[in-house]
Amino acid sequence: MSATGPAFHLTDIQGRPRRLWTQSLSWMLFLVGILLYSQFSVARHKENPEDRVIPSGAQLIQGVKSAVLEQPEEDDPLDATATTWQRVSHGMLWRDTVSSSRRFFISLLLLIPAILLGLHMAVFPYAEAFFLRFFLFFDKIVALSLLPILFIVFGIDEWSKIMLMVIGVGPTLMLDTYNIAKSVPREQVVKAFTLQSSSLDVTYRVILKQILPQIINSVRLNLKPLALFLFAGEMIASTDGLAYRIAIMRRHMGMDIIIPYLLWVAALLFAMDALLRFANRRLHPWY
Amino acid sequence: MVLTAIRRAEKTRVMPRKRVRKNPHEAETEIALDNVSVSYPLASGAQKTVLHRLNLDIRAGEFVVVLGETGCGKSTLLRLVLGQEFPTEGTVDVDGKRVRRIDARCGYVPQKYALFPDRTVMQNVMYGPENAFCGWTARLLPSFWRFRKSLRAEAAAMLQRMGLRTTDFHKYPQQLSGGMQQRVAIAQALLMRPPVLLMDEAFSALDPSTRASLQQQMHDLWQESRPTILFVTHNTSEAILLGTRLIVLKPHQEGDQESNVLLDMQLPQSSEPLSVRKKTRDFEQLREHVKHCAFRESDFEVERRAVQEMPRRVEASE
Repeated sequence: MSATGPAFHLTDIQGRPRRLWTQSLSWMLFLVGILLYSQFSVARHKENPEDRVIPSGAQLIQGVKSAVLEQPEEDDPLDATATTWQRVSHGMLWRDTVSSSRRFFISLLLLIPAILLGLHMAVFPYAEAFFLRFFLFFDKIVALSLLPILFIVFGIDEWSKIMLMVIGVGPTLMLDTYNIAKSVPREQVVKAFTLQSSSLDVTYRVILKQILPQIINSVRLNLKPLALFLFAGEMIASTDGLAYRIAIMRRHMGMDIIIPYLLWVAALLFAMDALLRFANRRLHPWY
Repeated sequence: MVLTAIRRAEKTRVMPRKRVRKNPHEAETEIALDNVSVSYPLASGAQKTVLHRLNLDIRAGEFVVVLGETGCGKSTLLRLVLGQEFPTEGTVDVDGKRVRRIDARCGYVPQKYALFPDRTVMQNVMYGPENAFCGWTARLLPSFWRFRKSLRAEAAAMLQRMGLRTTDFHKYPQQLSGGMQQRVAIAQALLMRPPVLLMDEAFSALDPSTRASLQQQMHDLWQESRPTILFVTHNTSEAILLGTRLIVLKPHQEGDQESNVLLDMQLPQSSEPLSVRKKTRDFEQLREHVKHCAFRESDFEVERRAVQEMPRRVEASE
């Protein structure tokens, strides 16, 4: 260590990078990605100015514009006098985002009973005996293999896709909640009973309250699998949605639309993750 | 109609009041263990007996300290009284009723994880009396908020009595030191005014000075209100300083027909501060006597002596 502070060693476990360094390093890979993309795009456009595999910056901007402002092909065209807001609200990106988000949030709501079931399995021995073995087995069923059955049972409408997401993520979230609730020290439960708690008090006011931040973290980790099942359902049988549009654009080699769509989906998931992380910090300062 | 139901529910739950004995000298049995045995099945199919034919009567107001080697059944005894475990044979009664589940008859202070991490100090201490006063629905009534206000004052007084400052009341347990956490845990248990207070090596994770100060505080608290306390410890000095009665348990040996109780004696009481008592000759003698009875020479000691004697043996053989 020097007199002015710790020496700069990239491989030093005890290193303490300053704030500026941390910020710069965290953006570095984004920058490298953009540079590499530009490099490849420029190289391909030199060979073929009409190349659509790696669209140029101008093509991407045009793609974003058409995704935001243009209607899907299957819809009736708007009047030429339509305002910008009307064009945006009838545009591909907005309509697809609303459709996919509706499915996504309905599935998230339907996952709440799965979380509660996991909690009850961990707390009530009879519920554990009844459900645990079955869900340990059910969790191992590959959810996508259930898709044909779901299409037969629920049709190819919304519910088959929503159920695919619930069946895909529900058991994992349930077993995760079960494990988290089981890890609450036994002393806490005993103590709560000596403080005249009922079984419901212990379940909801002692255990659930304690494990809620960990459950929220578990939901955060399961956002991507949830989106994955949503995309699988939408790509196979849908008439709208973000994944449907990507599947359609693939047929037309529309990379100028696909890439903004991919980035938009990632940004939405990142925002949701950040929101949950923020909520966790604000609601559970003790965690 | 709903309001009437809530009020009825409210009436069925009352804040535990300080127990007043008709005759202060009356020594009713608070904890009774009758012919209690506890055994566990081992993987080999055999049975491991932890407690064997244990008979114990603990009177109200006694400060009973249970001492013994690891594996002698101290914590099992505590769990039996708590209702966390049940005897294979025999019965356990607390406050005149058979123990069939964990309930508010016993206050409990474990060695760690004693506080709810998601609640502040004040919320932790008020949690029990709030439960005792009303159920979920009755919390909507104005009388609950009036009760809460008076309870807050009582909780604050108890916390201050345990050495906490008002600035600590709104801290979370993880923001407190180990000693502070145990003080809050004791306050939390005492505010419920349980007939019996169970402490499972409650001070063993603390540093010596914090431990000494908590011992003194516990001693003072017991002298003030005389609750029945069952205190499990490994520490001989702590046992002699705090208790009015000492029970030394020994591990049960296969084929042994005797009970686990090796020693059951009344301890002398004194009004001196514990730090002064600790330095007296009587205390030292008693400590040596109990140590001699309670603990066998450990394997480590035998090994250490063998190593010390080794050069002499080598010299002798040469």
